[in-house]
Amino acid sequence: MARNKNEEKKERKITVKELKRQSFLLIVSFVVVVYGIIFYYLPLTGWIMAFENYKPKKGLLGSTFVGLDKFKFLFGDDVFIKVIRNTFAMGVINLVTTTVMAVLFAILLNEIRRSWIKKPIQTISYLPHFLSWIVVTSILHVSLSPTGIVNDLLLRFGIINQAINFFAFPKYFWPIVAFANCWKETGWNAIIYLSAITAIDPALYEAASIDGADRLQKIRYITFPGIKPTFLILLLMNVGNVLNAGFEVQYLLGNGLVQSVSQTIDIYVLKWGISQNDYSLGTAAGLFKSAVSIAIILIANSIAKKYSDQRLF
Amino acid sequence: MKHRVRKSTSDIIFEIVVVVFMVCFVTITLYPVINTIALSFNDGIDAVRGGIYLWPRKFSLKNYKTVFAMQNIWVGARVTVARTIIATVTSLFANALLAFVVSRKRFLFKSQLSLFWVITMYVNGGMIPIFLLYKNLGLTGTFHVYWIPGMISAFNMLVMRTYMEGIPESLEESAQLDGAGYFTIFKDIVSPLCKPVYATIALFIAVWQWNSWFDAMLYNRMKTEYTTLQYELMKLLSSVMQQSGSAENAKNGAATITPITIRSAVTVATMLPIVCLYPFLQRYFVTGLTIGGVKE
Amino acid sequence: MKLKKVTALLLSFAMMASVLAGCGSQAGTSAPASDGGAATATDGGSSDTASASGEVTDFTMFITMPGSEINDDNEIASLIADKWGVKVKETWLTGQTASEATGTLIAGGEYPDFIDSDEMNLLIDAEALIPLDDYIDQYPEFRDTWFTPEEWDKFRQPDGHIYWINPFGNTMGETKQTTHNDEAFWIQVRVLEWAGYPKIETMDDYFKLLEDYMAANPTMDDGTENMAYTILCEDWRYFCLENAGQFLAGYPNDGSVIVNKSNMTIEDYNTSEDTKLYLKKLNEEYQKGFVDPESFTQTYDEYIAKLSTGRVLGMVDQWWDFAYTVNDSFKQSGLDLKGCNYVPLGLTTKPGMENRWHTYDDTVNQASGIAITTDCKDPDKAFKFLVDCAMDQELHDLRFWGVQGVDYDVDADGLYYRTDEQRQNWADTTYQAAHRCQYSYFPQWHGTSRDGKNANKPEEQPSEFMNDMSAPLKACFDAYGYTTYPQFIGSVVETNGPWFPMYSYSNNFTTETPGGVAWAKMGETKHEWLPKVVMAPDFEKGWSDYMDAYSACKPEDFIGEMQDILDTFK
Repeated sequence: MARNKNEEKKERKITVKELKRQSFLLIVSFVVVVYGIIFYYLPLTGWIMAFENYKPKKGLLGSTFVGLDKFKFLFGDDVFIKVIRNTFAMGVINLVTTTVMAVLFAILLNEIRRSWIKKPIQTISYLPHFLSWIVVTSILHVSLSPTGIVNDLLLRFGIINQAINFFAFPKYFWPIVAFANCWKETGWNAIIYLSAITAIDPALYEAASIDGADRLQKIRYITFPGIKPTFLILLLMNVGNVLNAGFEVQYLLGNGLVQSVSQTIDIYVLKWGISQNDYSLGTAAGLFKSAVSIAIILIANSIAKKYSDQRLF
Repeated sequence: MKHRVRKSTSDIIFEIVVVVFMVCFVTITLYPVINTIALSFNDGIDAVRGGIYLWPRKFSLKNYKTVFAMQNIWVGARVTVARTIIATVTSLFANALLAFVVSRKRFLFKSQLSLFWVITMYVNGGMIPIFLLYKNLGLTGTFHVYWIPGMISAFNMLVMRTYMEGIPESLEESAQLDGAGYFTIFKDIVSPLCKPVYATIALFIAVWQWNSWFDAMLYNRMKTEYTTLQYELMKLLSSVMQQSGSAENAKNGAATITPITIRSAVTVATMLPIVCLYPFLQRYFVTGLTIGGVKE
Repeated sequence: MKLKKVTALLLSFAMMASVLAGCGSQAGTSAPASDGGAATATDGGSSDTASASGEVTDFTMFITMPGSEINDDNEIASLIADKWGVKVKETWLTGQTASEATGTLIAGGEYPDFIDSDEMNLLIDAEALIPLDDYIDQYPEFRDTWFTPEEWDKFRQPDGHIYWINPFGNTMGETKQTTHNDEAFWIQVRVLEWAGYPKIETMDDYFKLLEDYMAANPTMDDGTENMAYTILCEDWRYFCLENAGQFLAGYPNDGSVIVNKSNMTIEDYNTSEDTKLYLKKLNEEYQKGFVDPESFTQTYDEYIAKLSTGRVLGMVDQWWDFAYTVNDSFKQSGLDLKGCNYVPLGLTTKPGMENRWHTYDDTVNQASGIAITTDCKDPDKAFKFLVDCAMDQELHDLRFWGVQGVDYDVDADGLYYRTDEQRQNWADTTYQAAHRCQYSYFPQWHGTSRDGKNANKPEEQPSEFMNDMSAPLKACFDAYGYTTYPQFIGSVVETNGPWFPMYSYSNNFTTETPGGVAWAKMGETKHEWLPKVVMAPDFEKGWSDYMDAYSACKPEDFIGEMQDILDTFK
């Protein structure tokens, strides 16, 4: 590794010869950067909205400038601070549970050798991805209601002696949301890992078998290292998204009794921004989220650089 | 794997764990799907009472009839198929090429270019600025708004980059010695080895395109000829929801469809084509593929 | 080799796609053409009739509410186009909020010909609407029938112009209203029947009756357990818990506040004695186990499912929120024959009080309505059509009753009636798209048709109403000697003040004013605290905690701003 890095450094001197050699790469990069500027960076002029009292008619440049008022409104509100906490907590819990489930599922599925079992299982696993949140949450809601199947089973096995109304208690809310996310996306998220597993050379497994490794050892020493780059990259990308913990799930599963833990930034913005015609507030919240995401990514990336050979940039 | 090694105790335990896990997983995962299918074949009014789990209680094809009798559904289906194919091809190509560029170890602006794209994942100008941009570019009211704006996605690109980085550099070097240019390396050396990841990303793009409706609503609201399947279905759903909740529109005897069953029929109708397409892609990332035995 | 195959595959895909795209765009260009083809078929016949009013003008309209689109070749729309020379393509809200949709329209700067938005102020700011005053004066008959001068004035904006006309809530001639399309405490007729049809006046009577019935009949015939009372609390539908206080105190549905007419002041019902009594009663019933324990967590679908099983004896709700679905379900499962249908009660906290649960007057919401935009291709014709919708009975009948002989029949007395099949067709989504065209956001009437016999809307036709009743329901009506639902309520008949309903103002509050901020925070607090108060083991403690949280929202800012609005009516 060390050798590689040095080599890289040495070669990354910009010389005319090297530029010429890489002309194809440079042309592609140029085209793609122009594209990116137009479609991703140009709309960011919209961020001006966060500092003004945007009125659609007056447009971006004509609306009154209000400085940091929108940010003051957000951070002056105790509720918003709570909302950040909720978003962050659910973001982290969801990230951990969905990642663990997807990796676990991909690895275990890979352990099934008979493809006539493997393929149908995999097909079934990603189907819930196509169900809309409203379908998934309504099934979940019915199952977890005091008369639903979960309470029924718990009562029957004597684990509880009185039905629990899971949606009435804030303490159950985050786990329920995490479960819903796993339920819907495990199979789908596992697809990437499955494709990464296919890149592992089967010869490695054979060699390990000959060395007398059992299956757990093979997972540990072959499969997991094989998917590690993918795992790390996805993790890096997703930690930047912890503040995008969602909107629909929480909105559909929440109720007045648990709103202190169920509201996310997106719900807050809808309530206080969009439904009140305050476009600027939503932009301010969005700007805040972007700033946090980029900060997290910068930190995560440098950690990753230090401890592994994976990085986002 | 061909020559079977005698199973150790730990392997037997392990296999039991795998089987138990898979049985639980499949049961839990399959349930909402079966429930949705059951509801989609159930009479609407009857379904309102709840209590339908695995099988319809009062069988009816009314929901599907309603869905397929919508006037623009076939126009929408055609546009959706077209946008899915065009966008999958173009977007896969663009993302793969970009991933190839940033995965070249010797590329001069490797990390700057990556950063440039990583940032795009976390910033968003908002609906109105984007709308104005597309309008000024002349994309609104056209088919192109479906495939041009989302062509490159940092997420897809980075997944592919990671995969490409795992391909031994020696392959590239030996090709270069033979005088191959970068495009040839991309086309003839890297791409064939990337089939699993290409299949994966193609699936992602295709599903994303297939399910998109917000762009159709926002940019082509008045253009019936560019409506998409999902937008038509969304319109149906939101009108049915409205009907059950409004004093003005409801009333009158036998309103035999309700949001729950229509929603289910719409879901099944959306899911089916993708499920049919899936096996063709699946073989690339389930069956496995040997990378030409080259070791670093 | 393999790569070649892939390339070939990609190429063929691309070709297929371009062919498909070609189809798509061809369909695009040909769609209007075939549309025109369909239209010419009818146009051919109509060119004579339409010649008087000229060509058929195609207008577009955007409504910021979800709704059903009709087919381009919709039969009644074509009939209307032939005769009145106008065809309107309606587009409805999908997956956005009204404000987002309006915002994007304004940002894009292109408008449909007609618009009905919940965010009219944005459109005025954007100068997107044309003033209608001159047009209104061109049609004096319409002007004088549709609104009174005071009502018109409510629509005048600060610049003195009128930009939109609310199409709803106008009654022509004698009212034909048979339903109580508002909020009430509802009770199943089997409970009333069991008790010998007593007179229920107060909240205490109501819950006493529910308790007694539960004691005598813990289950239904089939063994399903009865449930005395449930509360829907989901999202915006929490009005089922939230605002009964104002009614129980005898006030009408101003929604967000109480207007005390005697001294013209705004009062807050959230903190009123009657609301406290109401919540205390609910708390008591909850502790006794008569309130559904799932009340505060159930979703709307679960609530409707629960009502549809027929086991819920009573609840507070708006008629339109549950009755259509639940009554259909009862009819299908035969529960209507077991007396599961609901009738409304006009309860108060104390006996002998007047109640105003039912609003007899037209409720004119001045905050929104149909408007013509500056992009409209022919404002004169557009406005004329708007007037036709209100003033032409033939057009009105076509929109709401349909085609005579197809959608309804006329009996010897000239009364319209529908057969079961006609009623079913009319409610069928596919039939609606192909045949029915209500232009439901254009002006329309309730009450009696210009022929003096029929109702303007089929659902108000007395024969339609009576046809629908099950035996136990009919028995209940007969026992009390009532013929309509509002009679069960027995509200005071009086005219509401010109400010009514106050919610039409508070709905437009934004966070730009302190009152608007307070209003939003109050809603948030109530969502969380009202359930807690009802479930509190110690009511007084729960109530005082709630009051602390509530007063932290500064409700006085909100009340103050509402008072300012009310003062303009002094």
